[in-house]
Amino acid sequence: MVLEATMICIDNSEWMRNGDYTPSRFQAQADAVNLICGAKTQSNPENTVGILTMAGKGVRVLTTPTTDLGKLLACMHGTGLEIGGELNIASAIQIAQLALKHRQNKNQRQRIIVFAGSPIKYDKKMLESIGKKLKKSSVSLDIVDFGEEDEGKPEKLEALLTAVNNNDSSHIVHIPPGPNALSDVLISTPVFTGDGEGGSGFVAAGPAAGGDYDFGVDPNIDPELALALRVSMEEERARQEAAAKRAAEEASSQNQGDEQSSKLQDTTMADTTGASAAVATDAAEPMSEVDALLQQAIALSMQTPASDSAVRDTDMSEANNEDQDLAAALQMSMQEGEKDSSGQMDMSEVLEDQAFVSSVLASLPGVDPNDPSVKDLLASLHGKSESSDQKKDEEKAAKDDEK
Amino acid sequence: MSSTATATATAAPTASAIQRSQVDLVDFIDWSGVECLNQNSAHSIANALKQGYREDDGLNVESDADEQLLVYIPFLQVVKLHSLAVKGPEEEGPKTVKLYSNREHMGFSNVNDFPPSDTVEFSAENIQAGKPVVLKYVKFQNVRSVTIFIEDNQSGGDVTKVQKIAFFGTTVETTDMKGLKKIEDH
Repeated sequence: MVLEATMICIDNSEWMRNGDYTPSRFQAQADAVNLICGAKTQSNPENTVGILTMAGKGVRVLTTPTTDLGKLLACMHGTGLEIGGELNIASAIQIAQLALKHRQNKNQRQRIIVFAGSPIKYDKKMLESIGKKLKKSSVSLDIVDFGEEDEGKPEKLEALLTAVNNNDSSHIVHIPPGPNALSDVLISTPVFTGDGEGGSGFVAAGPAAGGDYDFGVDPNIDPELALALRVSMEEERARQEAAAKRAAEEASSQNQGDEQSSKLQDTTMADTTGASAAVATDAAEPMSEVDALLQQAIALSMQTPASDSAVRDTDMSEANNEDQDLAAALQMSMQEGEKDSSGQMDMSEVLEDQAFVSSVLASLPGVDPNDPSVKDLLASLHGKSESSDQKKDEEKAAKDDEK
Repeated sequence: MSSTATATATAAPTASAIQRSQVDLVDFIDWSGVECLNQNSAHSIANALKQGYREDDGLNVESDADEQLLVYIPFLQVVKLHSLAVKGPEEEGPKTVKLYSNREHMGFSNVNDFPPSDTVEFSAENIQAGKPVVLKYVKFQNVRSVTIFIEDNQSGGDVTKVQKIAFFGTTVETTDMKGLKKIEDH
């Protein structure tokens, strides 16, 4: 809950057109930035965040540090965001420092977050002197090294980090291209959690909130919550095992879905405590009928075998046509879903229990569990899509179908 | 009664009276606002400023990334600064010290933007002795905050160490509230 003013420096150079991060480097970066803005403003209401672009026609400050999350998100999606040009890290950092110097609340600590996606043309010496200046003015620096794997780039950035680092308040994260979204990987790093403090509930959805205790909750401070978390964790494990067994017995057409579900289970199990903490907190909350419906709808909107998105869409539309309640719930869940993608992933596991799901479905008016299209949907519950962008696409497609 | 009178300097400041009436302004420092840029976190500015810490020659404030230090000291009330005492080791003690009065939140980038209110060059002996150096009194008549910029040190090395920083002067308010007595009925 540190009071902080942050300047985020984003890379909008030509190298960001590359698609090695889905859907493109630039988009992945934008998602990550949105998440960071949200996390920072949530962890302390007086925190301010500003954004500047490092490439394009030149270093340009999009917003000076502000508490207004809407303005920040609008900036990232605005029309002024052209991709092109070359990264100019030195001026960018100096301008960020200047922007922070003129912040309104002088009590805030200063932090700069740099997304370095393209090769760095400056030499180590220059970066070190920049780092030294930042250290002198007690500005912390977080570096996200992704995209271009230049020889010497990680060393240069590490040198910059050691020059700036004061008591571990600055961090560097290297993210190689891979199936995981940039933002998902970032959530687990200190860039998000801010020196490992844990932060608010939003940030606690990331695993780093764990710390010393099993569930990121001190049993001394809140024994009931810790107990509830432990119980639901065990229930969850049992449910997942049962679901895994069931998934293994499914028809051959679901084979791909099985692979994905088990892969997902592995990754989510490997995910540390925070994921289960999020699930558990969901379970611990009183689950009213409305909540159950909503979560049902969220699960339906998220889960599909990756290859079957076309089938998926028709399923969705059929469901929509059939059931007005379900459709309304789906709409609401879409809005929720866009905000909290990581939370969705976790909630899906709660609904893996087929018995539970079918009982919920039976309670929905107008939905007959024996109906073939509903059965297809149920079967598809065991296949999961991993990419949050895919989810968004599907939700958008469903929205279009809706219209 | 007489002691409060001397402490608050109501008398016209003759040369001898100035020496007598100067107080150590450590009691008037607003600790919540004290800042020091480029200090080593293990050796912080409190070691040089606070009563007790500054007397201990083992405790000092050290610079971190390079030899410069920028200390910002706000006061609880408006004061007049008369003299400054800085004590440090012979090699790493400060040499050139610039003072800026009433400039808030300066950074290393703008120390050169305006002239200092006063500049003091310490020699090796007087930094070791830590004797007070008289400042340009006329420039420090109405001081709310003072910024100390330590530009370099005696040996020219990378680390500057300061054992004690103390200001002497007088407060501007002439009424010492604690000294006021209630008018009692005869």
